[in-house]
Amino acid sequence: MKKRIIGYAVWLILACLLYFFENNTGTRIVLACSLLPPFVPIIRRGFFGRDELIWWPRELTQTVQTFADRAADDPGDVRAYQPGDPVNRIHWKLSAKRDELLVREQAKDRTAEEAETKAVTETKQPAESSAKKRVFLMGLSILLFSLLLLFVLPSANQGMKALLNRLFEASEKVNAYAYDRFDVPANTPVGWAVLLLAVMALSLLSITLLSGSRLPALGILAGCVLFQVYFGLAFPGWIMVPLFSLFALWMLKRPWNRKAVICVLSGVAALSLTVLLIWPGVDAATEAASETVRDRLSQMAQSLDGTTQEAPAGENETRRVHTLSLTAGDQEARPDREYRLVTVEEEQVSMPHWVNYLRIILLLLLTAALVVLPFLPFVWLNRQRKRALEARAVFQSENVSEAVFAIFQHMIAWLEATGNGNGNAPYAAWRVDIAPDYAQRFAACEKLFEEAAYSTHEMREEQRQQAMALLTETEQILQRQADWKQRLRLKYKECLWV
Amino acid sequence: MRPEMEKVLAEIEKVIAGKRDVIVKILTALLADGHVLLDDVPGVGKTTLAVAISRAVDLNYKRVQFTPDVLPSDLVGFSMYDQRSGGFSYHPGALNDANLLLGDEINRASSKTQSALLEAMEERQVTVDGETYPLQKPFLAIATQNSVGAAGTQFLPYAQVDRFLVRLSLGYPDYAAQMEMLKNRQGINPIDQVRCVMTKEALLAAQEEARQVVSRDAILDYITRLTMASREHAAVDVGISPRGALFLDRMAKAHAWVEGRDFATGHDVQVVFRDVCAHRVLLKENSENNVDDVLNDLLKTVENPDRHSRGMLKQ
Repeated sequence: MKKRIIGYAVWLILACLLYFFENNTGTRIVLACSLLPPFVPIIRRGFFGRDELIWWPRELTQTVQTFADRAADDPGDVRAYQPGDPVNRIHWKLSAKRDELLVREQAKDRTAEEAETKAVTETKQPAESSAKKRVFLMGLSILLFSLLLLFVLPSANQGMKALLNRLFEASEKVNAYAYDRFDVPANTPVGWAVLLLAVMALSLLSITLLSGSRLPALGILAGCVLFQVYFGLAFPGWIMVPLFSLFALWMLKRPWNRKAVICVLSGVAALSLTVLLIWPGVDAATEAASETVRDRLSQMAQSLDGTTQEAPAGENETRRVHTLSLTAGDQEARPDREYRLVTVEEEQVSMPHWVNYLRIILLLLLTAALVVLPFLPFVWLNRQRKRALEARAVFQSENVSEAVFAIFQHMIAWLEATGNGNGNAPYAAWRVDIAPDYAQRFAACEKLFEEAAYSTHEMREEQRQQAMALLTETEQILQRQADWKQRLRLKYKECLWV
Repeated sequence: MRPEMEKVLAEIEKVIAGKRDVIVKILTALLADGHVLLDDVPGVGKTTLAVAISRAVDLNYKRVQFTPDVLPSDLVGFSMYDQRSGGFSYHPGALNDANLLLGDEINRASSKTQSALLEAMEERQVTVDGETYPLQKPFLAIATQNSVGAAGTQFLPYAQVDRFLVRLSLGYPDYAAQMEMLKNRQGINPIDQVRCVMTKEALLAAQEEARQVVSRDAILDYITRLTMASREHAAVDVGISPRGALFLDRMAKAHAWVEGRDFATGHDVQVVFRDVCAHRVLLKENSENNVDDVLNDLLKTVENPDRHSRGMLKQ
């Protein structure tokens, strides 16, 4: 869990970095969204006995697992303590309750099983691990060698630079400006560079697949971000979206499930589409206007420079006069005035500073919202689920009357959710009629409820079973009878009992 | 329902048909050790009912027909000078050896006599000339008020009505019940066929058991909320008294016992609520509702303990 939190924090920081150096909002938000933890499929025991696949955010799987663990932790079989049993297997709670020393049988079995599987895997492991190691080392050496070649081999080096230039060129439309950073001939071949990069990517992939760690993915993402920040460039959206879907896939828990992959990919695609529609990034018209103004400015500056050069050396005073007589509309001051006018125009086009700050703040807020928002339903659901599970745990409580009470309340909640409630009437006065003979069974169970709620004596185990049986039956009948709206509501209720 | 109660009920139903609910309530009141006020027209079988109960449960039955000239001493007894012994000797009244007293048309008695009866009902003892005589155990008074031809009579004041555990009404029988009654009376009087199925001791034991029935905090909370709501109700002038709350609890417990349980539930309270509280609520003069509406309203609006304070239910 700790590792995951750190990983997630890194993702978040990277996402924020992307925003600080934004010049293409749309793509950035897509990136941030693809950084969200993907959903993972969880197989769980459904309410009505069948196994089901549900989607759950990976970060929240911990709670589900802990619940499963807790269920497995159930005392199960216990037996009387015999001299020689290890002390740590004594079920202290139960022992205290029954006033005799009891030892967990199940725990013992489990450890025995574990030892067995361990022994089996150990016999298999040496051969497997050595092969793994060999492949790993091979991959690593290929990676390093390719990297070395990329820097040392002149053609590869040049090709790499040309490749980058082409990439920058490709991102021109998005970034609105691009220039040749590296000084290489225009038609340098990039084949070597591409080949080496592909080899590097392949070996990296094999390494990460073998090691099963997600750290390389993080490393590459960090590298990408730093690269972009350093060069002040963003790749065009058509590169970024697949790139980050790739990262999102990478972050998936292996082995990949087809459904999980589809889910992640469609999630990224949907998010990028939405974001591109809502916030399509740099406005091309503004950018073009600013470009033309800038062109005119440089022209003006050049012409101004030309005039000052032509003027005599001691003409400083005349220049002051020029500036002073500007307002009067002196013909001689015209170029200077035009320069100023164009400057004002440029300021108008490129907007005041505070707007930019506002934009950054807005973007940060939006980022935060986008990062947090998808989680909220799950956080809320999770809390609901936890509460529901707590209520459900009471069904097996040692105190039978407490359990019957909880079971009945649960049943009432189901009945009311499907419109079979009876308001403020005491349950004894309810005439629930959802199936033949059901009212009779309900009345019988209602007696149990009253006993559980209002009596002070102990109740018997079979009374719990009776209540439980009726609860199951109620749920089944209601499920069968519900229309699609109610079914959705029931499904939601059911999903709470993971 | 408890088998012993079933037996008693079966005996009583030999003479009164189709009034099971009211009979059960009267028996419940008997178990709760309280008194019953019957608000009824003449001739619906109040006396027959009282006689049947006294026979089925082996109670000593006394009947007082109240008129304006019935004196308190007729009820509680009096001391008279005895020439032979040269001192006063006590002559017991109608109350002294009665287990079941039917006070017919109590509204015709003078207020003095009414008071004497009600004091005896409350204290379960009578005091004459400084001597205190305990009444029989059990002691159940069934008083009837007759609103027909009530001119010149004194209806019980609110403070005295409050001392009756329940106010009930037998009402006219329906067609089938009346046909059955008529058929039954063709030969012998069915009242002679009523057998004793419960001894006095068994009744006392049952009363004790009914007292031992558990009312958990949730029930007491419900009773408290009901009574307080009745005091705050817009149409109500005088709400249910604390004694009313006490009686409500007692009656609910007895009802639970009759149902064969050793704990009272919210449903018990609701079942007996109208009978216990109808005569304890005084409406405002300009109010358009009647008491039944108000009580139903209370039952509807005050959350019943099945639904209310779930935490309180499990303490």
